[in-house]
Amino acid sequence: MWLTALNRKLYREAWRLRGQIVTIAIVLASGIVCFISLRGTYSSLAASQLDYYDRFRFADVFARAERAPESVARQIEALPGVAIVETRVAEEVTLPIDGMPRPAYGRVLSLPAARPPATNALFLRRGRFPESGKNDEVVLLDSFAEAHGLEPGQRVPVVVNGKRRALRVVGIVLSPEFVYSIRPGALVDDPKRHAVLWMERSARAGAFQLDGAFNDVTLKLAPGASEQAVRVGLDRILARYGGTGSVGRKDQLSHRILSQELDQLGMLSEMVPAVFLGVTAFLVNLVLGRMIRLQRPEIATLKAVGYSNREVGLHYFGLVTLVLLPGCVVGLAGGYALGRVVLELYARSFRFPVLEFHMTPGLMVVAVVVSAAAALVGALGAVRSAVRLPPAEAMQPPAPPRYRRSLIERLGLHALFGASGMMIVREVTRRPLRTLFSSFGIAGAVSLLILSHFGLDSLLGYFEGTFRREQRQDLAVVFARPVAPEVVGQLGRLPGVLTAEGIRAVPVRIVHEHRARSSVIMGLPAENTLRRLVGRGGSEVTIPADGVVLTKTLGDVLGLRIGDRPELELREGDRRTVKPVVVGFVDESIGLSIYARAGVLAALEGDLGAVSSALLTVDPRELEGVEAALRRSPHVIDVSDAAGDMQRLLDMNTSIMNVWTMISIALSGGIVLGVVYNNARIGLAARARDLASLRVLGFNIREISGILLASQAIEVLLAVPTGLWLGRVWAEAFMRGVDQETFRWAVVIAPRTYLLSAAVTVLAALVSALWVRRSLDTLDLVGVLKARE
Amino acid sequence: MQLVSNASAQARAGSGAPILSCVDLSKVYRMGEVDVRALDGVSFELCAGEFLVLLGASGSGKSTLLNILGGLDVPSDGRVFFGSEELTLADEAELTAYRRHHVGFVFQFYNLIPSLTARENVALVTEIADDPLEPEEALGLVGLGERLEHFPTQLSGGEQQRVAIARAIAKRPSVLLCDEPTGALDFRTGILVLEVLERVNHELGTSTAIITHNAPIASVADRVVTLSDGRIQDTRRNTQRARAADLRW
Repeated sequence: MWLTALNRKLYREAWRLRGQIVTIAIVLASGIVCFISLRGTYSSLAASQLDYYDRFRFADVFARAERAPESVARQIEALPGVAIVETRVAEEVTLPIDGMPRPAYGRVLSLPAARPPATNALFLRRGRFPESGKNDEVVLLDSFAEAHGLEPGQRVPVVVNGKRRALRVVGIVLSPEFVYSIRPGALVDDPKRHAVLWMERSARAGAFQLDGAFNDVTLKLAPGASEQAVRVGLDRILARYGGTGSVGRKDQLSHRILSQELDQLGMLSEMVPAVFLGVTAFLVNLVLGRMIRLQRPEIATLKAVGYSNREVGLHYFGLVTLVLLPGCVVGLAGGYALGRVVLELYARSFRFPVLEFHMTPGLMVVAVVVSAAAALVGALGAVRSAVRLPPAEAMQPPAPPRYRRSLIERLGLHALFGASGMMIVREVTRRPLRTLFSSFGIAGAVSLLILSHFGLDSLLGYFEGTFRREQRQDLAVVFARPVAPEVVGQLGRLPGVLTAEGIRAVPVRIVHEHRARSSVIMGLPAENTLRRLVGRGGSEVTIPADGVVLTKTLGDVLGLRIGDRPELELREGDRRTVKPVVVGFVDESIGLSIYARAGVLAALEGDLGAVSSALLTVDPRELEGVEAALRRSPHVIDVSDAAGDMQRLLDMNTSIMNVWTMISIALSGGIVLGVVYNNARIGLAARARDLASLRVLGFNIREISGILLASQAIEVLLAVPTGLWLGRVWAEAFMRGVDQETFRWAVVIAPRTYLLSAAVTVLAALVSALWVRRSLDTLDLVGVLKARE
Repeated sequence: MQLVSNASAQARAGSGAPILSCVDLSKVYRMGEVDVRALDGVSFELCAGEFLVLLGASGSGKSTLLNILGGLDVPSDGRVFFGSEELTLADEAELTAYRRHHVGFVFQFYNLIPSLTARENVALVTEIADDPLEPEEALGLVGLGERLEHFPTQLSGGEQQRVAIARAIAKRPSVLLCDEPTGALDFRTGILVLEVLERVNHELGTSTAIITHNAPIASVADRVVTLSDGRIQDTRRNTQRARAADLRW
């Protein structure tokens, strides 16, 4: 009974409406593509993360110390809630790789002898683990090995405590601690300049005079244990051994960045498909509603010959299936394909042992059910009106539309429009809801384009507006340990160095009332010329001589006001607690920091003003010489070129953004096409008679095209500014959803982005309108006029 | 455009010379498997200032003839002239201009634009014509000076048809082509519409062709052409034109 007469009717009508069905199916499919690709990427990443962390025992708490005897591990194990303790030796090294102007920064971590680590186990990608007793064998982090083309069997130069050694790479590994490989303090991952090496503990400890001692510990907690309580206990134990304060998994660098990325992806996967589904519902309603209005006599006949309301209702719902079926199939297939591309983009930066795009049955069911719901909601109103129509009433033609004099005539403005202008005005004002929904749908498309682009604009805005003014150095030099201020003076005298300024950074815990945060207090020179404090609005803040300036967000989190005296527990030197006065705030875009003049910090620390890093401006012609000198310095652990880092961040984002832009242009174009094409088609069907009359009266094709398509033009004109505004609102909502304690970039949308969004929309609308316009060439003047209205 | 200027001059002069003429006109429609010959060798002319009735039963080909004369349709064979210009050689743009400047149409079902008031429906034409009447003047001529701001749905059938006539004459057309203008109206209203057409012909001198299947209407014409099976059966001249007001059917 598949091909019943009623079904045949359905197929023939569907064939007649094929253009409209295809365009709606495209919008629906786009929604599913977005949902599957974004949500699928999200859940694939989240599942990989969970599985990786679980199987490789990613630690819950991380802490460092100067030198703690191994027996301290027993004390830590005894803390309530601690399940596993793994101690290790961790040291910072440099890797002077041939061909790189600046050495790479590296960390060497110890591996327990003859057993896998109890926490943060390694995934061996190639090669083997170091053999017991071979103290020159290392395994190397995969991203660094890949960036330099290093393979097992090759040697890699490492400077340990000022001594250069060539270590033999025996294996390439991944670690749950370094899913995202980033140097501490860097803005972006730089696989070329961040190395992590693992070697056997006995080989390490000797090199750092840490026999029978450790300087790094990681814990796994027992189920249900309080992380906070464990960390307080741990910090107390390690305080005597130079502990700098423990870090929970939440603040572990790689994990935090991965989590942020997941949060953003999760948000996008909910926001973006919603636009498409909303538009789908509207379009189904539009097309089906129109069809049912035209088919009143047929509905009456069906009912008169004995079809039930249910059968009539299902018949029209059948049309929805014809949108749903291809929409879902194309959407799921497209979503799978796009999802793999998107996941591949993430896989470049986030390294997992296994990362595959999973389109789970659950995900597909959700996509199909939600899409079906959207389409059915759209159909509901139209179908209900068909079902409710009593047969006798349905036999009559529907009441003619009523037009009234509107505000425009009452204000006497109609003279401005002329008669053909008034046709347009009345068409638009007679169906304000359709105009409104259409505009809103198109505005959604505009906003998607903005959403795909604002991230890069904001990053550029931060770079141009803040970063360049904040960080004016050419090179930032990080010392292995705090050094005397004279070292900065020596750097300043290197040939080619124009200026050198020392900076002191001390890890602290800041406490106010019951709230506390880990932070860093930075001591800047009184006349800070190279490192300045610049707020998000671009305003510069100078540091007064008598207190500390806080990142505004840190002040807000702790509830601090100017004049308050929070406790600063210094995590260095004699680890004293001080209570400086808050004298100002700076509304920065990144992190939670504390700033003081160098002299103030030295007074707080009670020392003579050691420095932990130096900022240099360098004569570009002498850059190579300066870098060579820095490579030879035993104090220097890392040299970074912040502007270069920033540029790389921008380049990386640009390449990702280009992919997104292409995708969003295609998807938004689909929405615009769906809305404009369907509206114009329906406009044409409803007004063919009027337009034919105009042709008879002597209007040419161009003039009647203008009258037909003006309503669509008005919708697009309303939609573009609305969409630009909506895009900004979305972007701001999106930014608010990002962890505010880490990133607070001001939303910047470049004029170029606004222009692109508007241009893509207008172009897509033009194409759809011209597609419909072609039918006007074949308008049957005689036939239309013969028929009764 | 060249096609029309000479003819307009002749029409305005009221010379009685042919303003629209056709020679050996045929029109064949393909209806599914069969060819239907709607017009079969029709030769005919409409003179300047003339009031002509084309009489014929349903299917006689009269609407086809009118559509071809009005530039809405093209013949399968034969030639059509507007003055000395051959319409059968005109392209789409020239036909549009011909309709725009020289022809007024009145249809059985009015074909007013529902979203425009009476005045605006007429303005639709006056805004694109060269030397039009004011919409108010045109509506005054058809006796609707008081109903300018009414929408079509607020007007009776006869009133709607009169708006359609006002719209057709507002451009001061050379020819007025009316396809069953009283077909959808009751007797009394039909008379009213004919009176308007009579008055337009008389006061503006517009050459008018009315097609109808309603024989009594023929008595108001200068000349009556009877069509049957796509051919001209008979042409006669009324020695005495009856007044529309005196008609009965």
